[in-house]
Amino acid sequence: MAAFSVRAMQIELSNLSKSYGTAPVLRDVKLTLQGGQVHALMGENGAGKSTLIRVLAGVTPADSIDLTIDGRAVNLRSAADAADLGLRFVHQELNIVPQLTVAENIGLSRPTPTRLGLIDWGKLNTRATAALARFGATHIDPRAQAGSLGTGDRILIVLAGLLADETPARVLVMDEPTAALTHAEADRLFAVIAELKAQGAAVLYVSHRMEEVMQIADRVTVLRDGLVAMTTPTGTTTKEAVIHAMTGRTLTHVYPPRRGTIHSGNVLEVDELSAGPLHGISFSLRHGETLGIAGLENAGQSALLQAILGAVPRRGAVRLAGNLAPASPASAWAAGMAYVPRERRREGLMLGRGITPNITLPHLAAHAWHGIFSSAKAERDTATRLGAQVALKYDRVDQNVATLSGGNQQKIVFARAIASDPRLVLLDEPTRGVDVGARADIYALIAGLGAKGAGVLMTSSDLPELIGLCDRIAVLRDGTIGCIIPTDDLTPARLLSLIYGDTTIKDAS
Amino acid sequence: MTHLRRYGTLIGFVGILLFFWWELPDTFLTQGNLLNISRQVSMLAVVAFVMTVVMAMGDFDLSVGSMASLAGVVAGVSFAAGYPIWVGVGAALLAGLAGGLFNGFLVSVLRILPFVATLGTLTVFSGLAFLASDGRTISGANIPDAFSQFARLRVEMLGLPMPSLTLLAIAVLVMVWVVLEQTPYGRRLYAIGGNMEAARLAGTRIVKLRLTAFAFTGVGAAIAGLMYASRVASANPTQGDGLMLDAIAAVFLGMTMSDEGEPRVLGTLVGVLILAVLDNGLSQMSVDSYVREILIGGIILMAVASGSLGGLRRR
Repeated sequence: MAAFSVRAMQIELSNLSKSYGTAPVLRDVKLTLQGGQVHALMGENGAGKSTLIRVLAGVTPADSIDLTIDGRAVNLRSAADAADLGLRFVHQELNIVPQLTVAENIGLSRPTPTRLGLIDWGKLNTRATAALARFGATHIDPRAQAGSLGTGDRILIVLAGLLADETPARVLVMDEPTAALTHAEADRLFAVIAELKAQGAAVLYVSHRMEEVMQIADRVTVLRDGLVAMTTPTGTTTKEAVIHAMTGRTLTHVYPPRRGTIHSGNVLEVDELSAGPLHGISFSLRHGETLGIAGLENAGQSALLQAILGAVPRRGAVRLAGNLAPASPASAWAAGMAYVPRERRREGLMLGRGITPNITLPHLAAHAWHGIFSSAKAERDTATRLGAQVALKYDRVDQNVATLSGGNQQKIVFARAIASDPRLVLLDEPTRGVDVGARADIYALIAGLGAKGAGVLMTSSDLPELIGLCDRIAVLRDGTIGCIIPTDDLTPARLLSLIYGDTTIKDAS
Repeated sequence: MTHLRRYGTLIGFVGILLFFWWELPDTFLTQGNLLNISRQVSMLAVVAFVMTVVMAMGDFDLSVGSMASLAGVVAGVSFAAGYPIWVGVGAALLAGLAGGLFNGFLVSVLRILPFVATLGTLTVFSGLAFLASDGRTISGANIPDAFSQFARLRVEMLGLPMPSLTLLAIAVLVMVWVVLEQTPYGRRLYAIGGNMEAARLAGTRIVKLRLTAFAFTGVGAAIAGLMYASRVASANPTQGDGLMLDAIAAVFLGMTMSDEGEPRVLGTLVGVLILAVLDNGLSQMSVDSYVREILIGGIILMAVASGSLGGLRRR
C-alpha cells in the first residue's frame, strides 16, 4: 500500500499575504507544488519561511490566501482544515513522547487498538511495522522506547505517524529536517524522501543547506523580505544565483558609522578552547574592536559565547586583558565581562518582575551600603538612568517586564550589560525578535560600546547586520573557526559562501 | 479586581477578627488572649519565616518539622547526659545547621528536586530523632528548670507583658525581613526564584546561595524545635511534625498578597496570624477539632484559589 495517492496532483498557493501590525511578512507569495516532486524553500532568517509554514499548517491566519488543489479552490482556515486537505508537517521540534514506545508514538493521533479494554499490543505493533515499512524504515523496532532512538530515526517515526493517518497525505512539509542529523542519518532521510516522491508525494523542503537542496530538490523558491525572489527548477540554476537571490536585498537598516580607533592591546585572548561542539578555537580581540561570529544555524555560536563566559564546561585558556578568566559567570561579570543571551525570555529576563531588578541583577552589591545593605533608591536611580541611556520606552520603573515589547525587553538586557562599563561584551543575536525602531537603537549602543574601548563579540544570523557592525568576522565551520576575515568590502553573498564552506561558489555580486 | 486579589487576604483576615469579636465579645479581643495567641503561634511563625527564605528561590523545605523535632531531642539528650544548657542549645543549633547544609548540598550540588530531597531528609531526620531519644519522651528532671523557664518568661515592653517566645519570633521576623528585603543576598534569592537560568548567566552564584539559604532554614527550624521543647519542658521525636504543612500554608497565604505572587515575609506573617486566630477562635467557640481542620483547609484553598483566579484573568 502506498502512503500517497499515486495520481500526481498540483497544489497551487497564490495571493498569500500576511502582515503583523504594519510590518508585511509575506507579500503576494505564489508557490506551486507538484505531486512527485520536491520543492525547496530557501531564504535568510526573517525572510518569511516560518510564517509561510505556519499559514499552511492553519496555525497563523493569512490576510489573504488562495489555495487550489488540481484547480479546485479549497479553504484553509484552521489546523483541522490543513489536516483534512492532506497537508502534513515535520517541524524542527519533533513531536514525539520519548517515554512511549515507537509504536505508541506512531499511533498517537489515532485511537489505540484495544482488546477487552486493554491495549492490543500485537495490533499496535503490526500497524507500526507496516507504517514504517511504507518507506523502507524496517530497521526500527516498534517496541523500542522512542527516547532511545537517535534524531534520524525519530524523524522517521514522526513521518510514519503522519503517513499512517486515515486521510491520504498530499503534501509533506519538512522544516530543516537535517539540522540535527549526521551525514549518514541525512542520507537515509533522503532515501526515504526519494521513496515518498516515487509514491507521488509533493514535498515542501525548507533548508539552509545549499548542497542538499541542489541534491534532492526538483524546484527551488527563494523568499526575500516576504517576496518571492526566485522560483525555478534546480536544474536550470546555480548555487551562486540562489545565494544572490537570498541576499541581494536592498539594505533596510542603516548601520552607525565605524568608529575608527581600535586600540593595540588585546582585551580577549582565547587559546585552544573546546566546549560542547567546539574544539581548537583560538583568536584574540582588541580593545575597541567588534568581532562577529557567523556560521550555519547552531554551528556553535551560542556555545562559544557561553564558554567564554564560563557558563558551560570548557577546556583551554581564556584571558581577559591578560589575566586568566576563571570559568564561572559570576567571576566573568566581576572581571568585567557582560553577556546578552540569545533566548531573552528563558535566559535573560525575570518575567513577572519589575524593570529595576531586571537591570540591576548582576550589580546588586555595587548598589548596597558597604555591599551589605541594599538601597532601593540607588537601584531605582540606576534603572532610570540606564533606561534613558538605552532609550527604553516604559510607564513606570516598577513595571512588569512581561508587559514590554520584545525590543524594549532586549533593551533591558542591554542596560544590564552596559551598567558596569564592561571591558568585554558578549552579544548573542542581539536583535533577535526586535522591531526595526529598537534595532536602530541597539545598533547605536553596540557602536557606542566599541567607541568607549570595550571589546564586543557578537553573533547574528542576519549577515548584513553582522557586516555592518563588525570589524572582523570569524566563520564557524565543523566546530571550529574556519577563517577570520575583515569586513571591508565583504558582501553578504561572499560571507554566505564562506559559511557554506564552499570555495567553488564564486562571489555572486 | 487586582486590588481585590492583592488585598483580599488582608480583608479576609480583618473579617475573621471581626467575626470572632462579634461571637466572643468578652474573651477574644483581650490583651491576655492576643498575647496568648502570639505565644502559641511563635514556633510556627519562626518556621514559616525561614520557610519564606527557601520559597523565595522557588524551592521548598519539607524537612523543617522533623528538623525541629530532632533539634529538641538533641538538646534533651545533651541535658539528660548532664551537659550544661549552652552545650545542649548549641548542639541543637549545630544539628540544624548541618541538616540545612545537607539539604542545600542535595538541592544545589547534586541538583535533586527540593521536594524529593527534603522528603528524603524529612524521613532521615525523623529517624535520627527516634534513634537519639530511643523513641521516648525526655522530660521531668532531665530537662533543666532554667531551660523550661525560658518559655514562661515575660518581658515588660511597651507596657505589655510580652512572652519571651513572641519576642524571639519577632526577632527572627526582623532578621529574615532585613536579609530578604534589604540585602543583595536576599535580592539574589528572589532573582533565583524569578528565573534561575537568567540569574546564573547574569553572574549569580546559584550553588552557594541555595546552599546557604537551606542552611538558614535548617537553623530556623532548630530554633523552633528548641522553643517547643522549652514550652512543653520535654522533647520527643514527633513534637515538631505538624509545623511543616502549616508553615507552607502560611507562606502560600502570604503569597496571595504580593504583587507578583512571590513570597514576602510580611505576607507570611499575616498568613501565620490567620492560622493562629482561626485556631484560637474556633476552639474558644468549642468547634470540634476535626471540623476546625476542615474549615482551615477550606479557607487556605479559597485564598489561594482567588489569587490564581486573578492570575488567570490577567492572562
